[in-house]
Amino acid sequence: MSAPHDPHDGHDAHDAHDAHGGHHGSRFIQHHYDDAQHQFDSGKLGIWIFLAQEVLFFSALFVAYVLYRVHHPEIYSYAHKYLQVKFGAINTGVLIFSSLTAAWAVRCAQLSQKTGLMACLAITILCACGFLGIKYKEYSHKIHEHILFGRYFDPCVSSGGEELLTKGNECEASKSNIVYDKAAGKATSGCLAIKKIDQDPKAEGVQATCEVKEVHGGTASPIAHMCPAHVFSDSPGMTDEPEAKAKAEKTEPKEEFPCWEPAYQPAVCKDTEVGILVLYGPDDHQERGEDYKIDATCKDAPAVPAAADPYTNQAGQAMQVGKPAIHRGHELTAHEIRELDEEHEIAGPPPAHTGMFFTIYFAMTGLHGIHVLVGIGVFTWLLYRSWRGDFTPDYFGPIDFAALYWHIVDLIWIFLFPLLYLIH
Amino acid sequence: MANIEHHADAHGDDHGEDHHGISHVASMKVLLGTGSTLLMLTLVTVGATRVDFGANINLAIAMAIAVLKATLVILFFMHLKYDRLFHTVIFVSAICAASLFIGFTLMDSSQYQQSNIWNPAAPPATPYGPRPVNG
Repeated sequence: MSAPHDPHDGHDAHDAHDAHGGHHGSRFIQHHYDDAQHQFDSGKLGIWIFLAQEVLFFSALFVAYVLYRVHHPEIYSYAHKYLQVKFGAINTGVLIFSSLTAAWAVRCAQLSQKTGLMACLAITILCACGFLGIKYKEYSHKIHEHILFGRYFDPCVSSGGEELLTKGNECEASKSNIVYDKAAGKATSGCLAIKKIDQDPKAEGVQATCEVKEVHGGTASPIAHMCPAHVFSDSPGMTDEPEAKAKAEKTEPKEEFPCWEPAYQPAVCKDTEVGILVLYGPDDHQERGEDYKIDATCKDAPAVPAAADPYTNQAGQAMQVGKPAIHRGHELTAHEIRELDEEHEIAGPPPAHTGMFFTIYFAMTGLHGIHVLVGIGVFTWLLYRSWRGDFTPDYFGPIDFAALYWHIVDLIWIFLFPLLYLIH
Repeated sequence: MANIEHHADAHGDDHGEDHHGISHVASMKVLLGTGSTLLMLTLVTVGATRVDFGANINLAIAMAIAVLKATLVILFFMHLKYDRLFHTVIFVSAICAASLFIGFTLMDSSQYQQSNIWNPAAPPATPYGPRPVNG
């Protein structure tokens, strides 16, 4: 059309045009549209084309996901265990709820319910922030434990290759410490290296490495539940290397390993949990790391009160120098143990290129997270505008379009959640 | 203006939902019903993962539920059920394009090498005779 008006020349132009354009109502109806309906429909067509583009945009990442999963199913069935279903499920719920409030906001705008509109927008924003808060918690956990993309996937793992359960524990030497013998089907050296441990006369200035050949679980499953690094023993007889070696080698697989000496035993393992020993010794872990073979059965860990543990200091602080590391004598609550069980299923050593799963994970959830951020910005702007009273039943396009955008963000997450978190 | 009839055309649909001004207004019943169904399906999909039906069936169940949830979101939250057919056409074509994208990429995926990490000590065997020498 050949409007005589500059599109940006303000309300006067609108009004002038409105007079013969035949529409009435909102001052936000641009003069180059016939009426409110025309403007709304044009905007809606635009947002749908944008949403189609969003689908294509994300589809590239889904291609990466599918292709890699087809080639390396083992990586997916292994690596998803590092993700916590609980967080993913909560986030799904949060996002669905915010989608509901976004749709509700549109209804409020159409019916001129200003308070309802503002409440719905505010709840949507809060949910979006909650979503990102949970994402922050997940991401920071992964960054802390080196569960990262590509070659930066280097989590604290123990001899079986499973993630070291690092509650308040900093894993100093991580995957590099593990030698996994493919032929033998298990790790041949290394479990966790403990740097210097303070206040332990036998371990002063010592790096200790132990290796667990086999752990006989107290549970029905062949899974060896690792207690967190709180569980270790430095039974006096084990500190002298040759003796220790001899004793360790002599130990029969099913024999109770004398690891639960009350004086040293923090006893964090519950009945069905199996502790893994860490022996301290002279600073020669390089040589002896290969040799220690310990078969530990710790089914009936005697419950020793934490106070009996000489290594728990008064403040219950970490005992490790340098890193705020291993809390000894911390008794896990039943809840914590259950949590650890759920979150840290032991899956054997990481398959090659496991980091690729997390490359895809971070790319997909990261791009999705950016969309959530954008959504927060848009909804905040709309909250301001609705407070200003911009929206009327014949001008609510921005609310509708932002809600549509928000639904597509929800939609993407509806697929991401089962694809990343719920791999069976 | 060519679009002067536009209003009547676009909204001559026969839905009985309450209709207000320039666009369909979703009823609270539909909104709340959709929202609670979506939340319920989320619980179902989490629960279904805990039961072992075999990896493929588990994946199929999870995807079926995801598609169902997505459909609910599109139809009711995004109003596509009450919206113009043309918007459905746009969106469905995008999904078709994405499916083609994934499908075509998978078609020749078995042709790829397992690993492209070059190991100079053990170069991969060349299926068609010795590797040509440069120069």
